[in-house]
Amino acid sequence: MAFVRLVVFGFLALSVIYLSVAVYSRSVRREKLEKAWAEDNPASTDMAARDAFVAKGIVDYNASYRPKLIALVYVVPTVIVAGIVYITNTN
Amino acid sequence: MLRLKIAFRVLVFVTFGLFLHYVLPQHDIVRIGSTEIIRTDFSGFNRIFYAQADSGGVEQPTRDLRLINTDKKKTFLLGFVARDTTEVMVYRNEDTGWIWPPYFKFDSSDLQAESSSVARGDSWAVLTHYGWRVRWASIYPNAIAVRIVDIPDVRIIPWFNIFFFVFLVVGIAFLRAMWMQFRERAVDPLMDTAGHHYDEASAGMAKRRGRVRRWLDTWRAKDKR
Repeated sequence: MAFVRLVVFGFLALSVIYLSVAVYSRSVRREKLEKAWAEDNPASTDMAARDAFVAKGIVDYNASYRPKLIALVYVVPTVIVAGIVYITNTN
Repeated sequence: MLRLKIAFRVLVFVTFGLFLHYVLPQHDIVRIGSTEIIRTDFSGFNRIFYAQADSGGVEQPTRDLRLINTDKKKTFLLGFVARDTTEVMVYRNEDTGWIWPPYFKFDSSDLQAESSSVARGDSWAVLTHYGWRVRWASIYPNAIAVRIVDIPDVRIIPWFNIFFFVFLVVGIAFLRAMWMQFRERAVDPLMDTAGHHYDEASAGMAKRRGRVRRWLDTWRAKDKR
């Protein structure tokens, strides 16, 4: 029962972390894209072109390996817990 | 106000520090004298300083408690500075199970057997534990692991605590970065818009008030306007 509770609440907590990290990572990428656009087109006021550039960058980001790496948020703590269980309970 | 702020920060820091001091593992160099089991009736106060029943068992108001009686090498500065003197220290030996604190210890009986066999000889051992010994409240630190050492002057490197604090610093820095990004990208633009709306609203209000005030003033005597 305690194990089920650990799994359920652990999953919820890790999901909160996963979502925040995913949002953060995408936000950092978006900011980087906006800055890159501003650097390449300092005088441009064409907001549509800028939005298209950023949107394409975000699509590229979604397809890259980086957002998939955030799933490690679930994997690493599980491995650590398994490691602690093993180390604590072997003589 | 500044003093209150500082006092509050010190309080938070000390509470957090005490919490970590209770929960993180520490290593003692001990000579185990004996092991024993006592029946324990918890009070409402000291109950939270004990774990729950063995992980396969069921919780009862009263239960047996495994104890390890030792002579412990005294130290200064949280165990960083060794001393020649020893003191008596008694550890409890309970399963932490799947719950708090996350040691995931299920092998209390095995540890008790190990401690008994160490107690038969006269050798020194490194005993890993967490928790405090509080005599007036009958609170014991919980033993996690024991291993025999040849000499009492062994050098112990607290790897877990090193990694823990590195991770804590990295985690806090990351959280800070996330919060700043959130503020910069989500809250600040919102606040700008809200501030703009507020300015417009208050300007409109002032205009309307001015009109009402002017109308009211027409009823007053000319020299009191």
